[in-house]
Amino acid sequence: MNVYAPILILGLLAFGFAAFSVVTASITGPKRYNRARVDAYECGVEPTPQPVGGGRFPVKYYLTAMLYIIFDIEIVFLYPWAVAFDRLELFGLIEMVLFIVTVLVVYAYVWRRRGLEWD
Amino acid sequence: MTDPTFGPFGLDPWWLVIVKVLGIFVMLVLLTLFTIWWERRVVARMQHRVGPNRVGPFGLLQSLMDGIKLALKEEIIPKGAHLAVYWIAPVISATTAFIAFAVIPFGPTVSIFGVETPLQLTDFPVSVLYVLAIASIGIYGIVLAGWASGSTYPLLGGLRSSAQMISYEIAMGLSFVAVFLYAGSMSTSAIVIAQEPIWYAVILLPSFLIYVTAMVGETNRAPFDLPEAEGELVGGFHTEYSSLKFALFFLAEYINMVTVSALATTLFLGGYIAPWPLSLWDGAMSGWWPMLWWLIKVQVFIFMFIWLRATLPRMRYDQFMKFGWKVLIPVSIVWILIVATARVLRDEVVLTNRELLIGGAVTIAILLIVSWVFQSRSDRRAAVRAERQQAEANLTFDPMAGGYPVPPMPGQQAVGTSRRARAGVTIVQDRSDVTQEAIDG
Amino acid sequence: MSGEDWVFWVSGSFAVLGALGLVFSRKAVHSALWVAFTMINLAVLYIANAAPFLGMVQIIVYTGAVMMLFLFVLMVVGVDSSDSLIETLRGQRIPAIGLGLGLAVLLVVGVGNGLVNSGTVGLVEANSIDGGNVEGIARLIFTDYLIAFEATSALLITAALGAMVLAHRERWLPRATQQELSKARFLSGSHPGNLPTPGVYARHNAVDTPALLPDGSTSEESIPRPLQARGDIRAVDHHEVNEIKEVDSQ
Repeated sequence: MNVYAPILILGLLAFGFAAFSVVTASITGPKRYNRARVDAYECGVEPTPQPVGGGRFPVKYYLTAMLYIIFDIEIVFLYPWAVAFDRLELFGLIEMVLFIVTVLVVYAYVWRRRGLEWD
Repeated sequence: MTDPTFGPFGLDPWWLVIVKVLGIFVMLVLLTLFTIWWERRVVARMQHRVGPNRVGPFGLLQSLMDGIKLALKEEIIPKGAHLAVYWIAPVISATTAFIAFAVIPFGPTVSIFGVETPLQLTDFPVSVLYVLAIASIGIYGIVLAGWASGSTYPLLGGLRSSAQMISYEIAMGLSFVAVFLYAGSMSTSAIVIAQEPIWYAVILLPSFLIYVTAMVGETNRAPFDLPEAEGELVGGFHTEYSSLKFALFFLAEYINMVTVSALATTLFLGGYIAPWPLSLWDGAMSGWWPMLWWLIKVQVFIFMFIWLRATLPRMRYDQFMKFGWKVLIPVSIVWILIVATARVLRDEVVLTNRELLIGGAVTIAILLIVSWVFQSRSDRRAAVRAERQQAEANLTFDPMAGGYPVPPMPGQQAVGTSRRARAGVTIVQDRSDVTQEAIDG
Repeated sequence: MSGEDWVFWVSGSFAVLGALGLVFSRKAVHSALWVAFTMINLAVLYIANAAPFLGMVQIIVYTGAVMMLFLFVLMVVGVDSSDSLIETLRGQRIPAIGLGLGLAVLLVVGVGNGLVNSGTVGLVEANSIDGGNVEGIARLIFTDYLIAFEATSALLITAALGAMVLAHRERWLPRATQQELSKARFLSGSHPGNLPTPGVYARHNAVDTPALLPDGSTSEESIPRPLQARGDIRAVDHHEVNEIKEVDSQ
């Protein structure tokens, strides 16, 4: 069998197991309706009324997500470079240093402007 | 196109694949049940308690019983939930946790029912990337659970954990680079074989330490268990989940713990290769023995997880993010460049390993001396400043400020240590006059 | 059908399904999820076409990117937002259709050109020239497409700068220390510590029963705000309170 087929089989088994559990739970458990129980959980206090549209989130997370993508792409380039490093040698090293330094410039900029700070 | 194969992989007959799949599935479920019990017992011992010891021998069946109990519990679906996503989130979590394990090698080639096959479900040239990819899909389970619950705490917990996991995934990804550089491959089986002479944990120690830190952050375990910070967010993303859906999240968390431990073993501790004193025994690498060495190494990591949980308090969120972004990432990048440079020096300038080590030691020594000079200078300056502040503080401390005895403010020194010494101080008498006046008036 | 055909038809249909789901979903978050689904199916197609590295990278990068889209939705449009069907850009349909057709023509010409003009080597050969899929990609990126690779870093810089400009607020004043925060809390004149707990001194301990102040009046602060907002405040039984007062005054 090909190398990816076992993953598919394991995936189907795991998915089947998870789906089965999720469905079983609604059959095996008791059902006793209670208005308070289906409310959002806020430690027993009546839940805070949700703002229209569900409210918004601090835009702070956006910067983290963007930086994640930038470093993710850097890592994606680093992997084939590392695997083929013994063939690329000095040339590859210089290339990668240039690349990393360019990315680090913006990293330093974000750091200096306190983009990495949480409060 | 012919069916792709990779070394000895992709050649198994179909029944063997099914045997292996079932084996992995059962092993993961059993390891989860065992790890939960083990964690509860170890934490209990560390806190001078006994832990679960009622169900089965040593309480071993406790987690199984808990699972059955969960199945019989009422399923509560909050009324604000987005139903489709709410149902699919635990399934995503559990499925990705299971399939990430497909590329972990447990042992070398063995014979199962007369067929020679490696003790590993499958492998391909980019299998470590595969684990990363599946892990990043797994984050969705958590974020979606948080969003779909239609409730404030889970949403906050889900977002927090996504921010945490993506931050530590970078550090984790960077820690692999040096390993790939040495192994010249991204396949797990090839990386294990490449560690035959020496473990990468030894020669790539910084990578190993970064990986171990990142893997604790990635699995949301103490001291980095911020998404479930009970004091702030109740249960985090799974607050609104109950019954077996909650059990699936729990299962996924423990399987992920096993997976990252197994990956650490594979990449840094030589996978199934027998450790030193055992490697002297010729039979250590024959038959099924390597799987035992593998299991022991994984259990060492799991014990470490438990130990951390019992020992360390939870980190504050901003400190945690700061640590990930400002320490782990730059350190790993610098380390990668050092490793690559050393390799180029060895291969092109033809330095021997010994010369490289001496060169490295000299560089480190020079850096240490320079930093020591700078440090001691700034220390001296700080000491002078502190002394001056101390002197000012001593002058201004008034033990009876406002007519009542008060403790010293931060930085002030309490004057007069013994009661007799204080009785002799005139201030006390002065102040008592004042209070007397106040009472009279 | 061979295994590859099966993968193509199943994953290909799923990818199209995901794309349709993206367009037709009302909720912005559901659209984002459909994108993730499409991307994962595209990755499966890459892997089936003997490009495992590209497939894995597709999953790693795009799941991250979609996560960002998801967060963006939560932050900019709101947690539960749905599409509004009012067109804010007037007259955008005609240019949009034109651009769409243009893209389709470009794709057809590009793919057709590749199919007709370049000789095919075969996937097995393409992957084995450098000893493997990853090695082959590495050679291409780091030798033939060197400039494109280095230019990518400039692109990444632009992305980070954009995110900083859009999402980062510069802090002009130093961050308040714990001590300063505590001082400010007291100076503001509002309640510095816990609010009074409900029900104290009254004859009930329910959260909707206000606490009584020493003069017998009720303390509004002791009722949780959501209850106040809905007017769910239980009246205090003043008869009993007065009895207690009488007992006290004797």
